[in-house]
Amino acid sequence: MNKYQLVIMADDKQVVLERILQVTRYRGFLINAMNAEVNTGNNVATITMTVSSDRPISLLIDQINKLIDIKDVKVDASPTKIPQCSA
Amino acid sequence: MTESKTLTGSALLFEVLKEHGVQHVFGYPGGAIMPIYDALYDSDVKHFLCRHEQGAAFSAVGYARAAGKVGVCFATSGPGATNLITGLADALADSIPIVAITGQVPTSAMGSDAFQEIDIFGLSLACTKHSFQVTDINDLEEVLYQAFEIALEGRHGPVLVDIPKDIQLAAVTQRFDKLSHLKNKVKLPLADISKALELLTHAKQPILYVGGGVGMASAIDEVREFANKTGMPSVSTLKGLGAINPDNDNYLGMLGMHGTKAANIAVQESDLLVVVGARFDDRVTGKLDEFAPHAKVIHFDIDTAEINKRRTADAAILGDLKGNLPLLTMPLAIKAWQQKVQQMKTDFAWRYDHPGDNIYAPALLKTVSDLMPSNTCVTTDVGQHQMWAAQHMSFDDPSNFLTSGGMGTMGFGLPAAIGAQISRPHDTVIVISGDGSIMMNIQELATIKRYQIPVKIVLIDNAKLGMVRQWQDLFFDGRLSETDLSDNPDFVMLSRAFDIKSQKITKKSEVKAAIEEMLDHDGPYFLQVKIDATENVWPLVPPNTANDKMMEGV
Repeated sequence: MNKYQLVIMADDKQVVLERILQVTRYRGFLINAMNAEVNTGNNVATITMTVSSDRPISLLIDQINKLIDIKDVKVDASPTKIPQCSA
Repeated sequence: MTESKTLTGSALLFEVLKEHGVQHVFGYPGGAIMPIYDALYDSDVKHFLCRHEQGAAFSAVGYARAAGKVGVCFATSGPGATNLITGLADALADSIPIVAITGQVPTSAMGSDAFQEIDIFGLSLACTKHSFQVTDINDLEEVLYQAFEIALEGRHGPVLVDIPKDIQLAAVTQRFDKLSHLKNKVKLPLADISKALELLTHAKQPILYVGGGVGMASAIDEVREFANKTGMPSVSTLKGLGAINPDNDNYLGMLGMHGTKAANIAVQESDLLVVVGARFDDRVTGKLDEFAPHAKVIHFDIDTAEINKRRTADAAILGDLKGNLPLLTMPLAIKAWQQKVQQMKTDFAWRYDHPGDNIYAPALLKTVSDLMPSNTCVTTDVGQHQMWAAQHMSFDDPSNFLTSGGMGTMGFGLPAAIGAQISRPHDTVIVISGDGSIMMNIQELATIKRYQIPVKIVLIDNAKLGMVRQWQDLFFDGRLSETDLSDNPDFVMLSRAFDIKSQKITKKSEVKAAIEEMLDHDGPYFLQVKIDATENVWPLVPPNTANDKMMEGV
């Protein structure tokens, strides 16, 4: 299993987090850790997520990018430690 | 620009529908959507009362596919909303633009397990392109505009808008807000045209692989021009049927699990696949690792996520097919290849000589196809009859063949035909169904009766769940588990109960006259065709097998 850290920028809209979780699970990725914060100034959420899968990460990036409320998805090449959660 | 005015949320909904040119809606009322049905009473929108919300969803799908417009359906909260889900999933899989409006319990009751409350917003995540729940009346107008925009933007798809009852009743000022465009539209990268041109000029055995995206991109003319000018042999997916003129000498028909032998062999031998609006679905590719093993790939699509998803593209061309394909349209020197595929097309042509007096479904469907008027719209259900229709009927436009492709939903055909007939009142609409599938939405015969919708139903009846029975015979040692339907209702009597003229035929000699009578009849018609229960669909590429290793009979 390969591990990747994604940085997702999204409009802070209804259920945007649920949409990301649903797509991530359905496309065959496990979430190892995640953190989500909203900038209340511009209503943009930043979601940092560590995922693992045997599948290429481009598959997940393309599918998350298709979600209407997503502004940007990037793989963080230099993963730093992020808070653990039980997602 | 019209002056702003104050109205209820429900009345606003109908104003926005009017702004989008919506004339017809399919639905079913209930408690949490009553304010919307009350506003319907004063609206110019024509509502068709279906007899199950799944029927309403599929009628909206059929309407959208036959007319190239957005289909709209209504349902109440709870079970009404959950009954839409199969239709939404079908529309998502086949990229059909639908706007579904669901009533919801009042915002004050939401989250309390109220009567007929279900979290349809949560349920919608996996079966829509996007969804909204309106909890502030001031958002309603913008959300409704965005719903239509999202349904039609890029790769089409279904959008659900869940509206609580108090929002339907709340007062709001209409802004005629057309400026709420999507902010996050994906910017498509530049197309790899020069690489594609290089691949094209070096190809000796290219194949044009045509999918459902062609019709949705309104690029039929461009694809036909490409096929004619390049002379490239072409094959089609189930949803692409009709995009290529069936009379084109180099067109080999459908590829994949039940594709023609010529199409599958040609694809396996090709050195270049030019893929237009298709996605290497598993029913098309067979064993993926062995699909077109020597071919480079030029992949045209509007959806970035389809590029490299199942097959790596050597040149990817993202964006509008209509604008991009002409950039590669030029004559090619592939005469030897054309001759080879044309020879295969002749050698492996369908045969309709079938022994005995029993009706042979492929021949019957060919006769329907030969006799039906031009621009007839055919819908199907799912199973053997669907594959026989795809193999043996000819279509000159994808909007004339509506079939549940990605989701493979039994029960699709009858309600989809109702929607198609309403969108195209002057064209003939024929449902090809099976005795398993027809019972999945049989209640829609009541919709046909109520509105006297003149659809023609051809029921291919083998008193079996035929496709599952075929697989049980071929791959499960003939252990026929739960596929016998010999206790079906009397379909002729059943149709008559809905005032639908009907006839049952059992012999080859009856076929032509029965089809002519059906087509000549002004109103709805139900033709029950008894066939031999042991007939199989051939060819068949078994699971996890390369497409050139097809079975052609047992």
